[in-house]
Amino acid sequence: MTARSNWCGDYTAVALSLGLAAVFLYAGFDKIRDPLQFADSIAAFAILPAAFISPLALSLPPFEVACGLLLLWPSTRRVGALAVALISVVFFTALLSALLRGLTLDCGCFGVGAPSRSRMWLELGLNVVLFGASVFIFLSSLAQSASRAR
Amino acid sequence: MNLREQYPVYLRDFIGVLCLALVSLAAGLLINRFRSSPLPIVYRSPEQRFDAELTTLIVAPPFKIAPAATVGLAECRSAVENKSTLILDARPSALFEQGHVPGAFNLARDDFAHDYRRLDSVLKAAQNKPIIVYCGGGNCHDSRLVANALLTLGFGDVSVFTGGWEVWSASSLPASTGNGQ
Repeated sequence: MTARSNWCGDYTAVALSLGLAAVFLYAGFDKIRDPLQFADSIAAFAILPAAFISPLALSLPPFEVACGLLLLWPSTRRVGALAVALISVVFFTALLSALLRGLTLDCGCFGVGAPSRSRMWLELGLNVVLFGASVFIFLSSLAQSASRAR
Repeated sequence: MNLREQYPVYLRDFIGVLCLALVSLAAGLLINRFRSSPLPIVYRSPEQRFDAELTTLIVAPPFKIAPAATVGLAECRSAVENKSTLILDARPSALFEQGHVPGAFNLARDDFAHDYRRLDSVLKAAQNKPIIVYCGGGNCHDSRLVANALLTLGFGDVSVFTGGWEVWSASSLPASTGNGQ
């Protein structure tokens, strides 16, 4: 029974890794195409001072692409999952803060779109799913490396 | 392995994420260096970029004028139906192509100088006609920026449809798609 649940867990982790990798590769490449639009989206959150907006708009898309690539290989999956979990917490906090301040914006998460509060709530929920999936992958990878170490 | 034994593993993973962030920053800066129009390292807001664009159309620097008047959905709808008013969409061209008010022209805030020159004949013909500008709705400022720029450029009767595309599309009114009218 334990072997079977481990087997199921491993396959679930692989499937989730592939799904997360696809999401992050798409999101990253989409933002790389138009950094100005993404910088405007970051500025709309009114959280960061102007000096930090361009560096973040330039570095976040390659970071997302790297996360997607790391999730594809078993040896790097754990670091990729941890990076996704951390970035999901950052996105969640920024979106929740904007919603609580009554802002209506396009978060720029997946390309250009019309500013909409309903979409912001949807993306907040998506971040919870991304966080849950990445924590599952991280713990599953950790358990795998622990069982290999025994 | 318990949590204490796994501590070095966690630490190694956190260091890995930190290195990933630094490599991503370097990659982002490198990619930006080879772009045809690189993103300035010091960010400029849409308003600052818009003022800079406006100075390419007029000799004097942009000056502050009284803000444009606003209209509601009923007035905007009546203007569209009567075809008596020039309707301008201030959103990016990608959103304009997805859907816009019938008969509207795209004078995007983020490409104002280029679109202004492209619409030269349309705008000249509408010099003495009422003009209504809209954008996405909600908190969007693009329509106000474009309307105020048109007032600065000598257009006399410019209003902003504050509800914008959000209210128009939610009211199940006719819409056009594509990059034409």
